[in-house]
Amino acid sequence: MNARTRKDLTGYVFIAPWLLGFLTFTAWPFVRSAYLSFTRYDIVRPARWIGAANYRSLITNDDTFRNACWVTVKFASVAVPLGIVAGVSLALLLNANVRGITVYRTVFFLPSIVPTVATTAIFMWILNPKIGLVNGLLEKFGIVGPAWLTDPKWALWSLVMMGLWGVGNSMVIYLAGLKDIPTYLYEAAIVDGAGAWTRLTRVTLPMLTPVIFFNLVMGVIGTFQYFTQAYIMTKGGPEDSTRFYALYLFDRAWRYADMGYASAMAWILFIAIMAVTGLLFKTQKKWVHYGG
Amino acid sequence: MAGERVSGNLKRWIRTIVAVAMALALVGLYFAPQRATRETALRKYPNRIPVRFWHMWSAEWKDVVDHIVDQYNKSQDKYEVIALSVPGTSGDTKFLLGAMGGDPPDVMAQWNPVIPTWAEGGLLTPYEELMSPEEKALFDRDAYPIVKRIGRYKDKTYGIPIGVNANAVFYLPKALREAGIEQFPKTWEELVTDSAKMTKYDSHGQLTRLGFLPGPWAVTMALFGGGLYDFKSNQLTLDNPANLRCLESLVALRQRDGYEQVQRFQSGLNTQSFAGGWPFIAGYYAAAVDGQWRVQQLAKYAPDLEYATAPIPAPLGGAPGAGFSGGNFMVIPRSGKQKAGAWDFVKYWSGLTNPERAAQFYVDGGWLPLSDKIASAPIYKKYIHDHPQFQTFVDAVRSPDLTAQPPVAYQVFINDKVTKVEDLALRGEISPKAAVQQLSEEVHREIARRKELGYDE
Repeated sequence: MNARTRKDLTGYVFIAPWLLGFLTFTAWPFVRSAYLSFTRYDIVRPARWIGAANYRSLITNDDTFRNACWVTVKFASVAVPLGIVAGVSLALLLNANVRGITVYRTVFFLPSIVPTVATTAIFMWILNPKIGLVNGLLEKFGIVGPAWLTDPKWALWSLVMMGLWGVGNSMVIYLAGLKDIPTYLYEAAIVDGAGAWTRLTRVTLPMLTPVIFFNLVMGVIGTFQYFTQAYIMTKGGPEDSTRFYALYLFDRAWRYADMGYASAMAWILFIAIMAVTGLLFKTQKKWVHYGG
Repeated sequence: MAGERVSGNLKRWIRTIVAVAMALALVGLYFAPQRATRETALRKYPNRIPVRFWHMWSAEWKDVVDHIVDQYNKSQDKYEVIALSVPGTSGDTKFLLGAMGGDPPDVMAQWNPVIPTWAEGGLLTPYEELMSPEEKALFDRDAYPIVKRIGRYKDKTYGIPIGVNANAVFYLPKALREAGIEQFPKTWEELVTDSAKMTKYDSHGQLTRLGFLPGPWAVTMALFGGGLYDFKSNQLTLDNPANLRCLESLVALRQRDGYEQVQRFQSGLNTQSFAGGWPFIAGYYAAAVDGQWRVQQLAKYAPDLEYATAPIPAPLGGAPGAGFSGGNFMVIPRSGKQKAGAWDFVKYWSGLTNPERAAQFYVDGGWLPLSDKIASAPIYKKYIHDHPQFQTFVDAVRSPDLTAQPPVAYQVFINDKVTKVEDLALRGEISPKAAVQQLSEEVHREIARRKELGYDE
């Protein structure tokens, strides 16, 4: 055994615990779920090969599946851009050199470290139409607030609104991105006579696009898998208005014991996420600036 | 200088002590006995055959279950039942994974609609294989019809109930008096009419008391002569005309009270409360359909509340005494290691062979009896005497017209669709007729899909 091989082997021995875990708990289930998506499998009985029947049924014969796709896309197309706008705006505000700025940053970041379940439980009360904080405030202005979580017209948008609560996480990344922008760019812009707005649109935002792109991709992946909040708050209702893709997948897998069908759904979701992510990567050449 | 050195040394000492303490705590946590090890170490009867029992009760109910288990363990010297609470839906998942991995409990108490799926997959032992002919005869003779119906699938008994649920109307006599109603209505139509008199609004027109909160459609349809399943012909009966009549009546009632109004009113109440927070206690409902468990809770949390119970009145031409029931039942996994011990424990708890002794458990849990033998046990009679409102439920559970969940493997799917179309109809989004039609279409589409995939239905 030569020195190079020995060195490689030593490396593999060191990463063996992770490698074993990855192969057992990620790679194997990944491959297995692909097989299961072509089977009828209810956990109880052995899986039976049925070809593409699950995929055929999902695409041609399942209204709930189609609705879940639509709900998820609708949510992602609003929640992700809104989250980016809110995150960038907040980061810009918290990038200012004012007294006590670290306290403000901490305050805005804090909600994102509160467990999702706790936040969700609190929001169920905040959005309560009768005794909730939001409708209480609206009432002071003579507005009768809606039944946020039980009205099909409002339930999805309530979840979008709640999503903004955890914007502190991306805000920190934007803030790091802002700190990374070289000051000489601003100095040059000032010398060229650029005002605050021009500096924002011609220097700050273009230089921030790699970070925005990162958050966009992560946001899309996250919203396509949106589950916990809807599971706790609305269970998919009212009238299926919050029946997200992952929620329906969970129901099929664990409540209806339909693992083959759920595996097919998981693979469709995986392909959709890959396709959208690929599309975003294709577009980045046009709008993401990597400096240098 | 000397002071700074002392302070520096002290800091170093504190840091070292904290680091060592944290390291020891981590090591301690790592080597702390796991739950199973602790259970083994803490077994009261280590020389007996262990019978692992999983159940889904928690909080105050868990104490009742633990007490029954203790009593059983004291009552004989062959088995030791070891109880483990696995609450919520995680119980089902845990059971499935345990059964698939060859390590299930020996017996499990359930209330979810799992029997058809689990039985179809061969995970459960039919009780016919465990019962002696005498025990089978005893069960067939003594158990109420609904008790025999709940655990059956394809002509075999896979679940023995240890508690059955029934519904009735809880009402506030004071609310009736205030509305000038002399006695509780005898028909559904009268109840609907009278409930308008008991409904109250504030000066802004907001609801402050709902006259009558009916049960869900699935619970109510039997009273109209309908139901989701015909147990005689073993057929789904989703589009039974009586189901439509029932939904029309529920929709009319909700439209009268105002869907938005009721929704807002209820959203401010703790409607999910299983204890002292039940809105009925505070007078938010003058009459409400609910289950027998409320009687014990009211005795505990609102002992001074003046209330009464009555059977849910049937509509004219309907089916008085009919209803819908679920329950808690025991299942014994096919791959369980101690089936004999499990069956012995089920017999003990259900009271099949000693109903007088088991009556105590039903009293402790506030559960309905499984047979007249339990109901007529002195201790159970005393319970009814002390809680006269309970009698309504005991009468209800005797009815041969109580129906149960459709015994099909897609029970949960049907339940979801029933709830969905009911919600749509109550909101006025679709007509009751369209709701019934949609339900039928969606369920039959699922059946067709299952057939295509090779399921048995």
